[in-house]
Order: sequence, then structure tokens, then C-alpha cells
Amino acid sequence: IGLPTNSAQECQNLEVERQRRLERIKQKQSQLQELILQQIAFKNLVQRNRQSEQQANRPPPPNSIIHLPFIIVNTSKKTVIDCSISNDKFEYLFNFDSMFEIHDDIEVLKRMGMACGLEVGKCSPEDLKVARSLVPKALEPYVIEMAKGPISNVYITGGSSAN
Amino acid sequence: HIQWLGNRIDASMVSRHKELQREACDLTEAEEQLDELIAKCNLQLRLLTEDPQNKKLGYVRCQDLRQSFDSPDQLVMVIRAPPETQMQVSEPSEGYQVSLKSTRGQIDVFLCPEDSSGVC
Repeated sequence: IGLPTNSAQECQNLEVERQRRLERIKQKQSQLQELILQQIAFKNLVQRNRQSEQQANRPPPPNSIIHLPFIIVNTSKKTVIDCSISNDKFEYLFNFDSMFEIHDDIEVLKRMGMACGLEVGKCSPEDLKVARSLVPKALEPYVIEMAKGPISNVYITGGSSAN
Repeated sequence: HIQWLGNRIDASMVSRHKELQREACDLTEAEEQLDELIAKCNLQLRLLTEDPQNKKLGYVRCQDLRQSFDSPDQLVMVIRAPPETQMQVSEPSEGYQVSLKSTRGQIDVFLCPEDSSGVC
């Protein structure tokens, strides 16, 4: 048994290390959640489009659709936008005279309901069923956890997964 | 003479120490599991989005966009840029500016129309 001061020092070190790990785990959990959302949203989108193409018996006109990936910039209609473009269209510069928002395509998919409401933890039993069917088994515990609501604490899923 | 005072404290310290060590092991394991899942998820997502069939079906309709930003006073601009395009946004205090720089191809920018023609 070491001297008390040594143990105290070491306990403190371990405590600091523990906090650091918990912080990292938290970050990685939200990263994983975002990836799960993206997977579900993308699969849902593809499924929806496949179905509606089958129903319509043809793909939609090319000028009525936007393929992923894309970015949305939205602003008030009153905003004056000054835009300069290089000749080769490799460079753009926009000046707005008022506030604007930038959203990625995943945000659009979420707004379209493609993430089954998981992004806000509002998920009906049917939504959850769909969401679970769209991810591999190993990720199901996370989906179930996300369906319950936004996660604030670090949680560790019980048992290690087989696949 | 010397009196050893640390005995009781020491015992609880030792058990706390053990507990922390055990927890450290658990956390290491949890983190490794997360790393593995994140790597798998990234791979799955890449395979999913690179699949030619999915690529063809991975689109939104103009009406989806309009419904997602349904405020009538909103202007919706769509940017499609090649991978690795850099986007820079100025500090709000220095004005509202966005610059895009691509090295691998043209950038397309267009407005989402408001009429119900369904055409972008």
C-alpha cells in the first residue's frame, strides 16, 4: 500500500482523466447519433423516391429535382444579394445586406420528416419501427435511445453487440 | 513519536482508487465500442451514397424545399458544389458575406422558384 499522499494524487489524476473521457464519449455519441440520422434519412428518401417513381411509372423531370449533396442558403426576399462569379464558375462571392441562414441537405431531409422525428426525440411507435428497420442491429439500441428524447447524460449501452 | 493518522482515510482512498480504475476500464471499452461504430457508420454511409442506384434516387423535389422553408418571405438558394469546395462565411460584425472556392469543378447556384410549376 502506497503512501496516502500518493493515492490521493493518483485518485485526482484518475478523476481528471475520467472527466476527459466522459467528455470525449459524449462528443462521440453525438457524432454517432448524427451518422445514424443521416443513414436513416437518406434511406427513407431513396425509398420514398423509388416508390413515387414506380407509382408515376417514370422518373420526375430533371429540372424539378435537386440531387444530393447540396447546401441551402435562405434569406428574406427583401435582402439584396450581390453576387460575383469567376468565369470558370469555380469561385463565387455573395454579399448580403441582411441576415441569412445556411443549411445542409441533411437539415432539409430532417425537415421533410425523413429522420422519423429522431432528431428531436419525437418519434411515434410506427416511426420508431421504420427507423429501426433502416439500421443494422448493432445500432438499434442507439435508435431506441434517441427516440426517447434528446440525450443529456452519458449513457453506455448494455452488453457488447455481436455484429 | 510518530502517530499514523492516515489509516482510515487511506483505506477509503484505496477503495476509491480501485473504483476509479475499474471505471477507467469501462470507459475505455465504451469509447472503443463507439469508435468502432462510428467507423462502421461512416463506411455504411459512404457505400450507401456512392451506390449508383441510390445516387440516382438521392434527390429532393423543389416542392420539398419550398415546404421545408415555407415562410412566404423566404428566398431559397441552392448550391451544388464538387467535393472539397471551401465555403467561407464572414463574421456577422463584418457584414454578411459568403465565398465559395472550388478546385475540382463548377459550382452551380440557383434559386428555388416560388410558383407551383415544380420546376427549379
